Amino acid sequence: MMIRTTGLTKLYGTTTALDGVDLNVAPGSVYGLVGPNGAGKTTLLGVLSGLRSAGGGSIKVATEDIGVLPDTPHFDAWLTAREVVDLARVLGNHSSDVSRVDELLELSGIGEAADRSVGGFSRGMLQRLGLAATLVGDPDLVLLDEPCSALDPLGRREVLDLIARLRGEATVVFSSHILADVQEVCDTVGILRQGRLIFEGPLQELLVGTAVPHYAVRLRAPLDPVVRELQRLDWVREVTILDPEQIRVTANSLTEAERHLVAALAATGAHVVSLAPEAPSLEDVFLELVA
Amino acid sequence: MSLWKLEWIRLFRTKRWIALLGVYVFFGLVGPLTARYISEILESFGGGVQVVVPEPVAADGIASYVSNAAQIGLLVSVGVAAAALAFDAKPQMGVFLRTRVARTSDIIAPRYLVVTAAVVAAFTLGSVAALYESTVLMGSLPFGGWLLGTLLGCLYLAFAVAVVAAVAGKTQSVLIAATVSIGVLLLLPIVGIAPLVGEWLPSHLVGAIDSLVRGGPASDYLRASLVTMALTLGSLALAVRWAEQREL
Repeated sequence: MMIRTTGLTKLYGTTTALDGVDLNVAPGSVYGLVGPNGAGKTTLLGVLSGLRSAGGGSIKVATEDIGVLPDTPHFDAWLTAREVVDLARVLGNHSSDVSRVDELLELSGIGEAADRSVGGFSRGMLQRLGLAATLVGDPDLVLLDEPCSALDPLGRREVLDLIARLRGEATVVFSSHILADVQEVCDTVGILRQGRLIFEGPLQELLVGTAVPHYAVRLRAPLDPVVRELQRLDWVREVTILDPEQIRVTANSLTEAERHLVAALAATGAHVVSLAPEAPSLEDVFLELVA
Repeated sequence: MSLWKLEWIRLFRTKRWIALLGVYVFFGLVGPLTARYISEILESFGGGVQVVVPEPVAADGIASYVSNAAQIGLLVSVGVAAAALAFDAKPQMGVFLRTRVARTSDIIAPRYLVVTAAVVAAFTLGSVAALYESTVLMGSLPFGGWLLGTLLGCLYLAFAVAVVAAVAGKTQSVLIAATVSIGVLLLLPIVGIAPLVGEWLPSHLVGAIDSLVRGGPASDYLRASLVTMALTLGSLALAVRWAEQREL
């Protein structure tokens, strides 16, 4: 494991920020850390990077070569972007070639602003610069706190691509409120709530194993008789009318839905146009878990 | 780009060197001038009242420089030092540095030494200006006494910057670091009023140059010099310890 924590705790006064967190991050993985505000994501990243002390438990990090990107990076305003990344290069890894500075500025999408003072940078540009400074030393472990929070859609796309490219070359732990981003680039997910890690595992396992099965059914009007019939069935949890020709059927379990739904629709005499399971998004699962 | 180069760039791009050099050299030039013409200056504001002051001597020019340097110069020096040494004032900047160095002292050492070098250079240049002008306007001064006095003044300033480093290790804010440091440095001369205590304190070194150019014995400053050196090293050790203990 690149990171293994056991029973990790952290208190701020009487407030519990981390409560017995058992985190396991495999080498070369892209690990998404999600949770509502105040769940302890930033504290956990701070403890892992050594910027904050743990209150209890144990931490094992397999490398000392760690790159950290805070959620709102800040640099001396009178330095140029190139100087910031070069300073990070010199401090982080002396063997890294100077050409890596320009390469990362380009990859981060701020190559054209390389010689501008960072004092005039927008928050999005600072985030891109922070990412370049984090990656320039080619760290073994990259801790990213909300790396896309200030980026426009294009910037977000570029940064996600950059993170995805790190898979296998470095281990990335990436906290985000943007669950679609986590779903897109992470292979493993940890969900924090009130300082506790309530789920950790492969993303697919989370999506398939935890989510309530939804089926989107497109059918000819009228919908009401069909909806009433379906709501009477004990394996159906909920039926929602999405539009005049579409309903969503939520079953208690995937197995029951697979076994009974087609027959139940036929029994109502519905004119079914199409029927398909709705793939749960991480957002659906997240909302369900933290609710 | 290294942390040493970063500090030199900080000094020049933020124009803080101008503030330091400007204040010390200005008082180095103006101090002897006011000492030489104090009688005329007072009479011009006196509305015809004749003001009798002792005939100025060259040492008065140095004394005038030192009194201004010890107040305005010290304020500016502490401000410049606090701005450089409170490196966690913006925590994200602290994260950038702290996660890239093996020890916190790697961050503090260049900041302390570069600021101290700048403050000492500015004070020395101001002292050179005061020596030159005092000599031209009021007569010669003992060079040995002036040199030793200037060195002792530099030692005091190195101590003052170390105090700022220690305070900045405990507080994150530039303003609080500067204010508390000024408070500590102003407290020393007050403590020094107590009999026998003053000559042991760093603040005793502030007026050394004035006394030495008047022929005072150098041995008067031995104890304060040793204490100042010890307190400087102690303050730096505290700066590192406190900065290491801080969580971001």
